[in-house]
Amino acid sequence: MPETVPAASSVESGVVLEARGLVREYGPVVAVAGIDLSLAEGDSLTIFGPNGAGKSSLLGMLGGAMRPTRGAVLIRGQEISFSDPRWRHRVGILSHQGFLYDRLTAEENLRFYGRLFDLPGLSERIGERLERVGLAERRTVQVRHLSHGMRQRLGLARALLHDPDIVLLDEPYTGLDPSAAAMLRDVLAELRDGKRTVVMVTHNLKEGLESATHVAIQVAGRLAWRGSPSELDSADFGRQYHAVVEGEA
Amino acid sequence: MSTYFRQLGAIVAKDLLLELRSRDRISSMGAFAVLAAVLFHFSLDTSTTRPQDVAAGLIWMTLIFGGLLGVGRTFHIESQDGAMQGILTSPAHKDAVFLGKTLANFALLFVVSLLVLGVFTLFFRLELGANVGWLVLVLGLGSLGFVALGTLFAAVSSGTSMGETLLPILVFPLLVPMVVYGAGTTGRLIAARPFSEVEGNVKLLGAFALAALAAGAVLFRYVVEE
Repeated sequence: MPETVPAASSVESGVVLEARGLVREYGPVVAVAGIDLSLAEGDSLTIFGPNGAGKSSLLGMLGGAMRPTRGAVLIRGQEISFSDPRWRHRVGILSHQGFLYDRLTAEENLRFYGRLFDLPGLSERIGERLERVGLAERRTVQVRHLSHGMRQRLGLARALLHDPDIVLLDEPYTGLDPSAAAMLRDVLAELRDGKRTVVMVTHNLKEGLESATHVAIQVAGRLAWRGSPSELDSADFGRQYHAVVEGEA
Repeated sequence: MSTYFRQLGAIVAKDLLLELRSRDRISSMGAFAVLAAVLFHFSLDTSTTRPQDVAAGLIWMTLIFGGLLGVGRTFHIESQDGAMQGILTSPAHKDAVFLGKTLANFALLFVVSLLVLGVFTLFFRLELGANVGWLVLVLGLGSLGFVALGTLFAAVSSGTSMGETLLPILVFPLLVPMVVYGAGTTGRLIAARPFSEVEGNVKLLGAFALAALAAGAVLFRYVVEE
């Protein structure tokens, strides 16, 4: 079993995002059962896994949305602190939910989040992000009047508004039609500029493999398999995936 | 510090803009206030009870029950599309989020409290005279204390399976001192007693509101963080 997502790291080695012994329990249920990983600048890790494998919990802890029961998350060697939120400027999160308000316009939603991040040059930044996701023409339209694909693109604009160097994506392709998925794929391709660290959780084997420099399969709270796309026969990955999931189940 | 106030202002502005567009909470609170005043008016036997003698208690009950309708839905707007997660994963200080949502709730409830005072004055034929300003102050302080506790416990109840039904069970016991001093002060002011007679009570209401705000600001992070 290849181990291309190293567990040990240091600031000197250029590690941007690191998890050390992450455990998340919900009462008696163990969602994440001790995960170590470290990712450097430009790395893009895709995590596959069946429902209930703990993928979203892992992503939630990496993004500081939830506290680990045990273990730690480090960004550039510094353990994240829930009392000092400054590190949150480094992280952008997009899930299948866009974190948007239905009765605010596309522009108002971005302006709200921009003010929470206290971003300079907000108007120009909002215009640029809306242009980038193809929603410049819809800037004054309330979100409730946008299609699901447009909402997801706006959610991506929100996640990238503060120009984070760590981007966490939780099932970003869920519910998208082919054209919306293509637009999202294009924007995500721009993220692979060698400067950002991306972690994506998805069921979509094709999309997930396409954008990854590292791949892992999470089963029952553990990373049961790790590898890189170059080592994989992408046509055969489906069979390999099922073998890992069934072997670990 | 300026970042803190910009974050707080963003929350207030967003909540008020959303309410301005939907009018969900203000309309339900306002309708409740008017209907409650009408029902209380018709339920009183004026041959045995003077409306002025019971108005203060009824005003406070109307304000609290009506306020629950709005405050209980404070986090409803955040639950759509996971927006609360968006706020919590931003660098916004959790106490700024709490104070922002509390101030937005206060703005709504203060408007409702003025409406409550107006409809009770009309239906109960109250003569507020020179004390009207002090009455507005008392209801304002009461509203502030109520929304501070209400916003905190709305966050608690929104994370439970019981939802809004849990809110009154959590909040009402804590409101007892505020209702005692608030209703007593309101009654005396309606009875045209001088402000000096109730000044101590007003200070206690102010202290209660400040203590509720401080407690909420400190405890909010423990309620919303997973």
